Amino acid sequence: MKSGFLFPYWFRFLGWGCVIAHVPLSVIGRSQGMTNALDQPTAAQNLFNSEHLFFIATALLMTLGLFFVAFAREKIEDEQIWQLRLNSLRWAIYINYSILLVSLVAIGDTVHILELNLWVPLLFFIIRFRWLIYRLNRPANETAGL
Amino acid sequence: MKNTIRIERAIKNITQAELAAAVNVSRQTINTIESNKYVPSTILALKIARVFGKPLEEIFILEDGD
Repeated sequence: MKSGFLFPYWFRFLGWGCVIAHVPLSVIGRSQGMTNALDQPTAAQNLFNSEHLFFIATALLMTLGLFFVAFAREKIEDEQIWQLRLNSLRWAIYINYSILLVSLVAIGDTVHILELNLWVPLLFFIIRFRWLIYRLNRPANETAGL
Repeated sequence: MKNTIRIERAIKNITQAELAAAVNVSRQTINTIESNKYVPSTILALKIARVFGKPLEEIFILEDGD
């Protein structure tokens, strides 16, 4: 089946690498007094200060990592996998917009809502997609070779 | 919709994995089609029917509720 563009299979490992790599970077940065650029109202005025570079190194690394994991091909990418992708994407959008609307009404902190939006849809997509793949594989393995 | 893939495989003596390889999908997809959990696209259904050398209607059969 011809499907839309997806990253090669190995991008999944690259993606997890980025997600894992952002953790020590984030810890080291914060231990040296860095804060997230979104917490700094003046950060937008100077893009290349250390706070913004720290933001690039952590939040962007994690978001790109999750993006690669979410949109890397499976080993065998067939039409059923494609349907599971669409299903997961739909649920990720539902959940994202539910959180977005609730936080807009109840919290009103628009700066952190942006940060939340960077990774919530991707993370929920990955969780639901992997869960569906796991469920798909379970009965198939029990009756393998029949 | 029900199907006779399991029976046809037994007649032809091929495994799910062999059928999956013949139509370029995963073994899990064949498994879910056989157990009526997944309805294949028309293209995949035609490919499966071609592997068994039978018309589509002999492999995939509509049920009353469809």
